[in-house]
Amino acid sequence: MAYIRKRNRRIFLIFMVPAILVLFCTTIYPMLYAGYLSFRSYDLAKLFVPRIFVGWANYREILSSSEFLHTLTVTFKLMLMTLSVQLVLGVGLALLVTQRLPGMGVIRTLLLIPMMISPVIVGLVWLFLYFPELGYLNYFLSFFGVSPIPWITSTQWALWAIAMADIWQWTPFVMMGTAAALTSLSPEPYESARIDGNSAWEVFWYVTLPQIKPVLISLMFLRAIDAFKIYDIIFVLTKGGPGDTTEVLSMFIYRQSFTFWRMGVGAAASFVSLAIIVILITLFFKSLNRDPLPN
Amino acid sequence: MNHLKSLLIAGSIGVAAFGAASAAEFEGIELKMLAIGDTSVTRLAPIVGEFEEMTGAKVQIDMFPYPGLIDKIVIEASANSPSYQLMWVDSPWVGVLGESGALQDLTDWVIRDAEEIHLDDIIPIQLQENTWQGRLLAFPASGMIWHVNYRKDLFEHPDEQAAFKEKYGYDLAPAKTWEQYIDIAEFFTRNAGETLAGNTLEKDFYGNAQAFSRVAGAITHDFFPIMRSFGGQYWDSETGLCAIDGEAGVKAAEVMKRLVPFNPPDYLGLMWDIRTGYMERGEVAQSGYWSVRTVRLTNPDEAVLPTIGEAGYQPSPTEDGGPMETMTGALSFGINSKASDREKEAAWAFIKWGTSRDMMRRFADEGSGVSQFHKSILSDPDLQEKYPYYKVLLETQDTAKRRIYHPFYADVEEIFGVELNKYVAGETDSAQEALTNACTKINTRLKVFPLDMRLRWIADPEAEIFNN
Repeated sequence: MAYIRKRNRRIFLIFMVPAILVLFCTTIYPMLYAGYLSFRSYDLAKLFVPRIFVGWANYREILSSSEFLHTLTVTFKLMLMTLSVQLVLGVGLALLVTQRLPGMGVIRTLLLIPMMISPVIVGLVWLFLYFPELGYLNYFLSFFGVSPIPWITSTQWALWAIAMADIWQWTPFVMMGTAAALTSLSPEPYESARIDGNSAWEVFWYVTLPQIKPVLISLMFLRAIDAFKIYDIIFVLTKGGPGDTTEVLSMFIYRQSFTFWRMGVGAAASFVSLAIIVILITLFFKSLNRDPLPN
Repeated sequence: MNHLKSLLIAGSIGVAAFGAASAAEFEGIELKMLAIGDTSVTRLAPIVGEFEEMTGAKVQIDMFPYPGLIDKIVIEASANSPSYQLMWVDSPWVGVLGESGALQDLTDWVIRDAEEIHLDDIIPIQLQENTWQGRLLAFPASGMIWHVNYRKDLFEHPDEQAAFKEKYGYDLAPAKTWEQYIDIAEFFTRNAGETLAGNTLEKDFYGNAQAFSRVAGAITHDFFPIMRSFGGQYWDSETGLCAIDGEAGVKAAEVMKRLVPFNPPDYLGLMWDIRTGYMERGEVAQSGYWSVRTVRLTNPDEAVLPTIGEAGYQPSPTEDGGPMETMTGALSFGINSKASDREKEAAWAFIKWGTSRDMMRRFADEGSGVSQFHKSILSDPDLQEKYPYYKVLLETQDTAKRRIYHPFYADVEEIFGVELNKYVAGETDSAQEALTNACTKINTRLKVFPLDMRLRWIADPEAEIFNN
């Protein structure tokens, strides 16, 4: 018996080797190397800059930089804007598509399309929509006498323009998760609520919402982590501008690493970003462990 | 006839550049070029087969947009085994590429082949633009100056002249001072439905188009020539630190901000090509930009303006209207220092062929043209008639000033791009605050280097090719 267990363990280890190797090469080593870089002065373009150990200097520079704090604020602002709308719209759409109405299957499939498109393409699609002179959005608004809006080149509109593109792409994700939760709900509480004479809103608020709350929390955290890393759409639409209106954390990391070529500072900023995401994930798991159903 | 002329020139290029070279001289050599998709390359790319036939080398040109191109070049330069032997170089990059040893020193080859490449005929500042510490690191493929393009047809229209005189009290003419430039921009900014040169406008018309975008530091590129026209300097000559936040810089930034109301509404997103697009479509009265795109204004296949009006060309305005030291630039070809010796030789042969005087004349004759850098071409009366901006290009370069070439140019371009963009967007209260913010950031990075190094970086010794 002991021999079989020992042999199984060996086979188990042999099967694990390829996965560990892949994981090491694609995740662990790059991460360790990034960690190493974050403590060094490493300029990829200026080869004359000495590549030396600088201790916590890169981290100190980032955490004391007003630019970094600004990008963090923009990131959280954007996260709040997108998540709140995605939650309301996603739940609303989920309630709609789970109704037994003709054509709902087709509508559900169509609504999922944005989620399947690459964010770069989403960015390009919205770039065409937002284009000041030739964009479809301004063209459409012109029928109502609205003057062209510089969607992505105005400090007032740019962040909302990014948020709209993100909302368009990721609301279906919230809808899909919520719809799955709704279809798995037991019908009994609804029958009781109906017998008690509750309105549709009361049924939703007191019966449906508490039951789907854990799913909504999960969806929100997953979206929050994604929103925190948003990059592609911004890169295509505004590149962080105008000014620094849409300069999110990922853009900050990109600029440090690939515009200024300060790989050490970029790596340190990535680790700070990672730390924030880890905190978010921890909160997420903690919330999952709580009693999902309120009294 | 033109076709025959082109063939003869093509033949002479071959004979001139490769007189004694056998067709198999570079057989087996493959040259790859990392380049921009702009006139300095797009004119040449379709005919590289001619070079291949003459030398036996194979040439592949990969073209990319300007934003992001330096990223690729830097990565290429830091790789041990290069995949590109030839690199397109914008002259401000010579500092970082030179100090890093990424580009092959062309000085000795240029001296050796001076006669063949008609070195004496090349405008000296175009060569100086490509030097780092006196050594030539790239060879001009297109020479540029910063100048103003304007709607000559509108400026000469009697109704517009009368209305302008009445409003501003002086004659309407291409601006010599920035105050005049702003007046003209204001005067020509009109809404759809208003009249322009006797015609009712179907859409809004703008007095000016300026690159205000922060992307790839586009706004910085427009800001520097204006700053230089006010006599501004990039660097403090005693400390080697940023001096862009001086009086001239502030005046230049304020001029840009005053021009905002006369620009298209998406001004904060205007990149170089979007800005030149407004001029090429004839939708603005005036626009200052690099002459590398000016050639399009003379070609009805590339611009609408020649079909609806006429472009005029003028040196950039100054503070007091006096003569200015025009800002120049060079778009050039360089050789990767890590290429093999044989590849380098083939690459140099390619550069000589692609930038030769005969090739440049051929481009000019064919009507496509690039922004030229040979005195004999720019002073040719026939060509001056065909390309009226040649005269401005030639005359202004006698007193031309070099562009920024510091190894920290990318930092300057990006940091000033963001700060200036914030200023014109109204996010920063004053020009002084914006420029000081930017200079502080630059100086933080520079101060870690010793003074002698910083001073060496801002020095501009005369190119050694002129000493022979």
